[in-house]
Amino acid sequence: MPRAVRGVLIECDPSVKAIILKYDQERHDYIVEDLDDDRHLVIKESQLANLKARLTKELDDKVMQPDESESE
Amino acid sequence: MAAAPSSRPFEYLESLPGTVFFKLYQQPSTALAIFRRMLPDLAKCFVMALLYLKQPLPAADLEVWVQSESLKERDNALSILGRLHILSNTVTADNVRAYMVTDPFATSLRNALTGADQTQSFGVLSHVPSGSEVSIAGLDEYARRQWEGVLGYMVGTGGLGTQREVTLSKGVKELLQAGHLVEIRDRRVEITQDGFAFVLQDVSTQVWHILILYVESATAIGMDSVEVLSFVFLLSSLELGKSYEKNHLTSKQLRMLTDLADFGIVYQESPDAPRFYPTRLATTLTSDSSALSNPILGALSGPTGDPSSKAGTGFIIIETNYRVYAYTSSPLQISLIALFTTLKYRFPNLITGKITRQSVRRAVEMGITADQIISYLSTHAHPQMRKHNVSRSTSNQAGIPPSVLPPTVVDQIRLWQLERDRLKATSGFLFKDFVSLAEYEAPCRYAEEIGVLAWKSDQKRMFFVTRHEQVAAFLRSRK
Repeated sequence: MPRAVRGVLIECDPSVKAIILKYDQERHDYIVEDLDDDRHLVIKESQLANLKARLTKELDDKVMQPDESESE
Repeated sequence: MAAAPSSRPFEYLESLPGTVFFKLYQQPSTALAIFRRMLPDLAKCFVMALLYLKQPLPAADLEVWVQSESLKERDNALSILGRLHILSNTVTADNVRAYMVTDPFATSLRNALTGADQTQSFGVLSHVPSGSEVSIAGLDEYARRQWEGVLGYMVGTGGLGTQREVTLSKGVKELLQAGHLVEIRDRRVEITQDGFAFVLQDVSTQVWHILILYVESATAIGMDSVEVLSFVFLLSSLELGKSYEKNHLTSKQLRMLTDLADFGIVYQESPDAPRFYPTRLATTLTSDSSALSNPILGALSGPTGDPSSKAGTGFIIIETNYRVYAYTSSPLQISLIALFTTLKYRFPNLITGKITRQSVRRAVEMGITADQIISYLSTHAHPQMRKHNVSRSTSNQAGIPPSVLPPTVVDQIRLWQLERDRLKATSGFLFKDFVSLAEYEAPCRYAEEIGVLAWKSDQKRMFFVTRHEQVAAFLRSRK
């Protein structure tokens, strides 16, 4: 019997997916369905904003930024 | 298929309940406007073919008209017609699945086409004493000034230079606030993320956005959304340069006229004048989506103070080293460009700057997308850039679509955005737990044909759709 589940399809690169999986392991409150390829998963709609904020913060902290100058 | 339905008004209409459609379609002008603007060509064919049929047409007969390689277009057209409550599924006398055009849409459209309309649904022309007519150029100028005034108010051009101040009424400002396009903080106007996205869109999308906000806010203060919407469709069917009588209008419609005049959508000499003129902003609302080439946009995008500038006069040059030169003195354009470039120098008719990683990131943080930046830049690209590109693309036979902007800049803007936006989210529904591959394949293919499929996996027998109603109905119908 087929079922339909509400959610948000997330498309991202494998590294980001790994981070999301890590978040979910803490309390299992993000993921509705792990779609088992490198780039896709379905998460709860209510968690989208929270996830985005958390991810942005983490990436800003961890990813090295090249020296930024706005000069010519 | 040339005329794709423009998404924003379509999405709004789609969300309305069926009873609203029933009331809306009483007006021939509404039926005609929906027909002209919202339907893809194939859907128009279906409607025209079925319009004068007294009996429902069996579905199989209708489906025969479409070649087998265009099934996707067919299902898409039928789905749009269904969602707008134009086509209904019925059965013929001998119980065969069939389609027919619903009433009152059919009656109204027939009236609109044959001119048999007695309800003044298309407005009543006013006879102006000769010598006092308002010219089309004058209307364009008025519409441009008002609209640019609204946009200028939003991006806060006040500090940037001397611009003829357009006085905006309280209603306009409240509407912009209610739509979360601007916020008032410490009595200063601050533009929101939605506002940024808004100002970068093309004019006809903006006008629709504002009108939909208007309809929504009108409901809140006790006006009937059906009445407001029908009046919008009526305005859109009027003729530019003609004036129309006001004494047939209801008091609510008169009030709307005053509000819309502030946006430059209609023009009246004074609120008490006996007649009004629709401007180009109103008359292009439901014409085919070629609003891009209309003179208003040309004037809006071109340097101000030169209302005679014709369509397509771009003013931005971008070099492959990310430098931007914009020949404009319009404070509105300068503040728009400043949203995503680092400006360097300003001359009387020219500003220069550079698109940098930081400036793009800043823009993305404010909610502007790379695609918006790119479409803004290519819409307003200088004629020299287009010319340069034509000569280059004729030597390039590889069949790559010519882009007006240097490809390296376009790619880089996208990459900079990706750095910021690492994931793409689509809300919708996941269908799973199919017992057999055959059971999975049919709805999946159907979802793809009606254009709602976002992702699928044959292996796991799962697929993700943006809308579930039709797919669910499809599944039920196969039981």
